[in-house]
Amino acid sequence: MFSNVEMAARLNASEASDSDQSSPGDQSSSTRSRNRSLRLAEKERRKNEADSFSLALKYFTEVKSGTPVVGNDDFERNLVCVEKTAYSKGLHPEAVSTMLEFAMSCRMGSSPCARVLKCLLPSSVVPQEAVVRAVVWLGISKIPVSTQILFVKWILTMFDLIDGKAQLRAIYGFIFNFVTDENLCPFICHLLYLLTRKESVRVYRVRKLLELQSKLGRQPFLLHLLSLYKVFCPELVTLSIPSRMKTGFKNYNSPWKAALVGVLKRNGSQVAQSINLLASASRKRKLGHMDLPVLAPAVNTQAVSESLCKNVVPLVQIQSFTQLLENIHQIELPAQMGSLLGSSLALQYLDCLQDESALLRMNFWLGYALHEEFLFFNNGGANQNSEEAQQFLEKLLSTQHFLQEGFSSTEAFLYKFLNVWDGALMRPQILGLMSNIPVIPSSHIGQLLFEPLIQLFFTSSLFFKCGLMECLNNMLLKWLTWHSVYALEDDLDISLNSHTSINMTLSGFKNSVMELVYFVGRLASVGLQGEDCHSLLLSFVLDFYETVCEMFLKYGLPLVVMPPPGVFYPALFATDPVSVDRLAYIMYRYKINLASAKYQEKRMEQAFHINRQTFLEFNHYAVLMVNCLWNSKMFGPGTGLELSESLLLKSKVPNYGASFHLVHHPAFLSYAVDFHQQCWPKRNDLDLNSIKQSKALGWYLEFLISQGFDGLKHFVESNISWQVTGGQGDSASTQTRGTPSPPSAPFPGQRSPDAALSFPPLLLHLFPRIHPPNSRSQAPEDTVAGVNARSQGCEAPEKDTLPYYRYYRASTPLFCTGVAAYLCLFTGQTSIPDPTPELVHLRPDNLPPQSKDREMVWKWVSSPCPSPPWLAPVSPSV
Amino acid sequence: MEQKENRQSGERTPCSVALVQRRSKSYRQSYRSCLGATSRLFTPGHATRRLNSSRRAPRPRDIKEQLDPGVLSLLTRTEWQLSYVTPLFQFRHTRLKSYARQLSAFMAAERQQGVAVEVQGEEHTYRGRFSLLPGLVEGEGEAEAVLIQLWSRPAFSRADAAEKPVWSGWFSCVRGGDDYLRSLPPDFVGLPLFCSSGAESLTATVKAWFSRHFDCSFGALPLDQDTLQWVAALWANCHLEADLRHLTLLWEIPVSPPLKVSYAVEPLDAWTLWSGVRRAPSAVEEGVIGVGEVEEFVQELKRHFHRHFRLQLSAGNLTQVSSGLGAAKSSGRVKISSSRYLVSTLSLLTECALLKMPI
Repeated sequence: MFSNVEMAARLNASEASDSDQSSPGDQSSSTRSRNRSLRLAEKERRKNEADSFSLALKYFTEVKSGTPVVGNDDFERNLVCVEKTAYSKGLHPEAVSTMLEFAMSCRMGSSPCARVLKCLLPSSVVPQEAVVRAVVWLGISKIPVSTQILFVKWILTMFDLIDGKAQLRAIYGFIFNFVTDENLCPFICHLLYLLTRKESVRVYRVRKLLELQSKLGRQPFLLHLLSLYKVFCPELVTLSIPSRMKTGFKNYNSPWKAALVGVLKRNGSQVAQSINLLASASRKRKLGHMDLPVLAPAVNTQAVSESLCKNVVPLVQIQSFTQLLENIHQIELPAQMGSLLGSSLALQYLDCLQDESALLRMNFWLGYALHEEFLFFNNGGANQNSEEAQQFLEKLLSTQHFLQEGFSSTEAFLYKFLNVWDGALMRPQILGLMSNIPVIPSSHIGQLLFEPLIQLFFTSSLFFKCGLMECLNNMLLKWLTWHSVYALEDDLDISLNSHTSINMTLSGFKNSVMELVYFVGRLASVGLQGEDCHSLLLSFVLDFYETVCEMFLKYGLPLVVMPPPGVFYPALFATDPVSVDRLAYIMYRYKINLASAKYQEKRMEQAFHINRQTFLEFNHYAVLMVNCLWNSKMFGPGTGLELSESLLLKSKVPNYGASFHLVHHPAFLSYAVDFHQQCWPKRNDLDLNSIKQSKALGWYLEFLISQGFDGLKHFVESNISWQVTGGQGDSASTQTRGTPSPPSAPFPGQRSPDAALSFPPLLLHLFPRIHPPNSRSQAPEDTVAGVNARSQGCEAPEKDTLPYYRYYRASTPLFCTGVAAYLCLFTGQTSIPDPTPELVHLRPDNLPPQSKDREMVWKWVSSPCPSPPWLAPVSPSV
Repeated sequence: MEQKENRQSGERTPCSVALVQRRSKSYRQSYRSCLGATSRLFTPGHATRRLNSSRRAPRPRDIKEQLDPGVLSLLTRTEWQLSYVTPLFQFRHTRLKSYARQLSAFMAAERQQGVAVEVQGEEHTYRGRFSLLPGLVEGEGEAEAVLIQLWSRPAFSRADAAEKPVWSGWFSCVRGGDDYLRSLPPDFVGLPLFCSSGAESLTATVKAWFSRHFDCSFGALPLDQDTLQWVAALWANCHLEADLRHLTLLWEIPVSPPLKVSYAVEPLDAWTLWSGVRRAPSAVEEGVIGVGEVEEFVQELKRHFHRHFRLQLSAGNLTQVSSGLGAAKSSGRVKISSSRYLVSTLSLLTECALLKMPI
């Protein structure tokens, strides 16, 4: 009977001795490899664990009787090792045998016995031989009463996991003898109840039980066993069993059940049916803090008596939405508010609930659950219920999504949690919760939110950075939505509303939003630098600024904040066309917003106004963008980017001024080449400069727009007007200067003597853009604007040949990155020039209506182009 | 085109006249819901709240007159397991009897895994008993402490055998931060500290009953380093009035194999050291102990140990402090042997419990 166990033990021992020699080496190597690769280290660690586990088992197999426990470090270490394995993975059958044998034999005294029993969690099954042996030990060794009870409880808990019951039934009589032990009696009765068969029922056993009953009184456990006997052999038991007897034995809240369910779940169920059994048992166990309370009617009798007279309906009785609507005035809240989270109907009710203390109850419970799980770690290391926690957070998220607001306890929790968060644990959920944080007063926002986030941001991976950007964007969106809804209702000043407890004025709200936008600007600037302007991160940053640029028009917040140079330049010099296109779109929307704000300010004489600096910044960026993408005058004086000539020469990029012209811009280079090939399919040498010829440039732009670059389209349409003649440009400017603001022109004649301090005209580029197809005239130099805008004026190399193109491709991204980095670093030093007052905004709309050119242009634009060059590649005569 | 767009935008901005009135229900509600919390949420250092940096020196207070001697000996002779509790909703001190009946019914139902039905006069295996603990309050507006006991007959006893208490627990709130209590709506009773002693399964059942009835939540309250240091210092401070016996501190050094250092200080030595680190009390703040003094006290103890054994106790964790006045363990088990200092120790523990409050 015992040979199996011994063999297993020996097997373990040999395994252990094998791994014994390698173990120290492994340990040192594992420390070395920690930095190498996490996965490798993990593997190594597992192996080490397995080694030390088998060593520990060997120790417990071989330990001599009489070894002292107190101060025995070997024992302590080995037992801790076994415990760790037991709680995480469970013990394999041999290990269970070994440990049970060790505990019950009391080789090291009885003191470790209880501790070992507590950690005896099988990973699959319990060998019945081990149990039989242990029962035998129960008879002979000196084990304290409490430990004896613990052992029988252990058998009861593991009963379904014992791999066979035959041998246990064989010693039924032996087990029956323990019935006389007063302390063990209830548990032994239970065990016998499980083991009893017809053949086990004997007269002397019945007699013994009856004798016990007369001594102890009608104890339920005796009655149960006797009733079972009566079922098997009614002739032997003459006792009358009460018909209304309480059913079942006590359900012991033993220390193993929860841990065992966890272990079996983690091991992926080898014993499926026993899991079912255990799961049904565990349903009854105490609720953990992550479990939602059951939706139950209020149990406080006071409330009940009130409810009886008021005729209220408990929420749990509401089955449909119609019922909810019918009874909405007389619904009784459940006993635990947390249970509302579990039912969608209850959430509907929560949505319209105005009861302050009910919400406070909800917040107390929710905050408690979050704190316990993520901040206090009171659940112990044994159950790693990350899955449960994730489900909980997702439930919470969907609830908040449904209610369109965050709970204040979630908010309070997040402020604490951000300080200890590693940025990886439950990242999507935490970021989701974070985006629900309502407006924070600007005086606290830094300490509560920004400080922890800065630390996380700079120490985390690219994906975290992107996630955070998205989260902050969502947060801003929610704030702005809140504002637009709220401001509409309460007529701008939120503080006027006396029945709300928040005291947030419009200016306070503006400050908070401004803080947030500036903060994201700082994060983005440094983040983009750190990640080499990664286009994924850039995309998320631009998402954010797409929200920011619409603040005035879409959300009615009189605030416009421009992106910092650290965002603007990386986007402008990005190597992917999408980023440049989105930047163009953002600039276009900024312009519309600023124009509208300006107009409002004039018309409504409202107290708000947009900071002049914002206009200056916008003008600066816009001028720069046009110079860069269009005029090939990147570094010229007055363009805002004044790099020293020698530095630029050092870069060895030929014709650096034109490097970011739409034709040469690294983002659009492939389009340019494509266009070139379609336009001039028969040409062998690639001469990109030929695209810059006025006609081709117009087509090129149309080509780009046809590729879906709508942002560019809007930007060009709103910011770049093509050259008519110098005289007309002048006349346009003169005309607008004198007239009082016509509603069509957003910034008419906005000029004060001191141009630098006044609102400058928003934008202004007279520019050769699309020439009517029949116009052969070369675009003349534009002298109206301070910016030299010439369609062909860029000093490109004489011939863009294919080798040059290759060189260009190789060098430009480097150059790009270099310039971008340079700009980010030295933006403080680049001088922002005074916008030239002479620049006049000239657009098709403000052109004199009689202008012939305008008509021609519109005709050309609106008439279907007979053959766009890129569709029908007819080589035009250039 | 632009012109048109501008006009549209004009309508959308808040300043224009014709506005669509919409109800913003949830935002307003959200601010209502946290009004208790808002004030505290934005106090500086909210994210990292700590224990008070200074507190009054414990004054001996005799509560023997107010408390039943039996109850007092229960309180002082038992080692209690601490928990924190979120405020109890609709708890009434006047309804303790009915609570006792309901708890008994609940205990019986839990054993049957059924639904609790309160039947008058029925014998339950466990009988709940609720009573007030008068005198365990310091500040105004604090709820009185409540003692809960479960009585039962031993399993193998005769029907006429006397019942014995098998489980006890009590809620208390001593000097629990007036602001916090004041910010609670009147429906809530703040009794943040819960001490229990007895079988864990019973504790769990009683907690479950409280959670269901008063919509509150229980969480474990381990005592951290700072608290234990405070306990040590406060006890050392009592030397003149009470018998300290030995001030024993237990450190666990995280080495392999684990090392436990038990550090017993003679009461007189502790007192001398303590009076050494005490700063001259100013006239205004007499009897106020600052956290700096506490830290210095423990630091000096560690330094002394290092001088003799060359072992930096700072590398380990203080896990237990015990003396003639009681014992406190980092696991949250506390025994307060001296009835005279019961209240002052409880106020420290209440503070710890309040730190754990979710909002």
